[in-house]
Amino acid sequence: MPVNQAALPTDILEQRSHRDARHERLFRWLLKGCALIVLAALLGAAGATLWGGREAFSTFGWHFLVSSAWDPGNDVYGALVPVYGTIATSFIALLIAVPVSFGIAVYLSEVAPAWLRTPVASAIELLAGIPSIIYGMWGLFVFAPFFANHIKPWLTSNLGNKPDDGKLSWVAEHVPFVGKLFGSDYPFGASILVAGIVLAIMIIPFISSVMREVFQTVPTRLKESAYALGSSTWEVSWDIVLPYTRSAVIGGVFLGLGRALGETMAVTFVLGNAMQLSASLLDPGTSIASTIANQFSEASGLQKSSLMALAFLLFVVTFIVLLIARLMLRQLARKEGH
Amino acid sequence: MTDSALATNPASAVATSAVAPKLTVRDLHFYYNGFHALKGINMDIPEKKVTAIIGPSGCGKSTLLRIFNRIYAIYPKLEAKGEVVLDGDNVLDPGYSMNRLRSKVGMVFQKPVPFPMTIFENVAYGIRHHEKLSKSDMEARVERALRSAALWDEVKDKLKQNALGLSGGQQQRLCIARAIALKPEVLLLDEPTSALDPIATGRIEQLVEELKSEFTIVIVTHNMQQAARCSDLTAFMYLGELIEFDQTEKIFTKPGKKQTEDYITGRFG
Repeated sequence: MPVNQAALPTDILEQRSHRDARHERLFRWLLKGCALIVLAALLGAAGATLWGGREAFSTFGWHFLVSSAWDPGNDVYGALVPVYGTIATSFIALLIAVPVSFGIAVYLSEVAPAWLRTPVASAIELLAGIPSIIYGMWGLFVFAPFFANHIKPWLTSNLGNKPDDGKLSWVAEHVPFVGKLFGSDYPFGASILVAGIVLAIMIIPFISSVMREVFQTVPTRLKESAYALGSSTWEVSWDIVLPYTRSAVIGGVFLGLGRALGETMAVTFVLGNAMQLSASLLDPGTSIASTIANQFSEASGLQKSSLMALAFLLFVVTFIVLLIARLMLRQLARKEGH
Repeated sequence: MTDSALATNPASAVATSAVAPKLTVRDLHFYYNGFHALKGINMDIPEKKVTAIIGPSGCGKSTLLRIFNRIYAIYPKLEAKGEVVLDGDNVLDPGYSMNRLRSKVGMVFQKPVPFPMTIFENVAYGIRHHEKLSKSDMEARVERALRSAALWDEVKDKLKQNALGLSGGQQQRLCIARAIALKPEVLLLDEPTSALDPIATGRIEQLVEELKSEFTIVIVTHNMQQAARCSDLTAFMYLGELIEFDQTEKIFTKPGKKQTEDYITGRFG
């Protein structure tokens, strides 16, 4: 019997290929739709905040960006203080969280004994799941008072230019700018620095678990090759593991930074919520997210529009930060000969 | 034995003669997680010869190689007992400096694994760990290493490009250049061609032939033809024991042990 006698009639085959093509099209549209939701949400949020902030932008113009005024009595608003507070707290958070996370990740992937790795890794993931309000409460009731009583006096008298005993510290006299960063006569703990530290604790789990995971993808033979040339664990981690996983590591860092920039509750509790621009990290300040959280429910008119404009600026800040990260990556890649 | 046999196999004088061995293995045992992987290995590896270690998978040939530069020590729960004497000193002695060992004994692995850097930096990286060189000295050192690894002509115009752009065979020669840039005395090759095509393999074997005038080479291979082609002495291992160690010619033509003969003739393995 010839084989093709058993084959299906042509019209049925035709029908099926039509149906398949239809399904394929539908599936593609579905996938595209899922991806577009993200884009639509992003553009929608950015557009809505820009629209909401149009009154503030048209009233103050570029001045809105550089003015440190925030005066609901006279209806004058500027974004400088919250924008500075947002960037400063997030920057401090990264400054602390990135090296600590790197240490945790190297320890867990290269050094720690096998029995310790999984429990510690799970503990880190648990930390990432704690709601920010808990960190805020801990910061407000435990860390900020501790900081005010024990750390701040040491910082102001050893590094600052406004110490309690009135004598300028050696550092404040000899190193420019540092004295200003650590001088403060504000008696409480809540400050840019404390907010930065609390944020660092919050984002360490994110950054370190991403780092740990990508460090484990580095081929064993690659690390052994470096060890075989005499490299130490530090050199292998820094020169081989980190460059090999660079883009994923930077991705993890920016995941953490994204959380730090937008974090609201924890920061509101420990930042002091003062609309004042101070060079000192020990003085209170405010951030975009906490300003909005504090004032939105009672705001109207121009103040409400200014808060919307602030929200839009948070988008812009995040976007610029991501752009810088891209440029950094490209620069690094060029150095490695890609 | 005729003169021509002596000429084609200069190792014949070595195995039994008074020439001091470069590397002496004495009663070496190795354990991981309680598993007894090497059971009392004794062998004298002569200087500036190619010594091949062959045997079926799991016989411990790579394990033995990885003891010579103590690379196994980066993992926990691995333990070597016995002695590996390099120029009179036991390298397994905890007091033997890791930097000294790793600069004297270089290693090349199964798969070509260039570092995530430029071609130049791949070779310069190891040198930098051990020596401070001026820019011009470093350039000369890198060039010499790349020339020795028969790679210079292919990469001299793209030293600043990433090493991952090279072909597999070129990457493996880069790994050899990286190892010999430290001017080691012993070069360990752990199945260096297992991931390469026949042409690239041929070039590596040719390179091994050229390098033996400068280095003592130990090569682990699962490829018996490779051992026959490029080694002076061959060691056959089976289940953690050194069954036979002799001149390559003898191992492949009239092996002294039944097990060796069975393996050579393809009856198992």
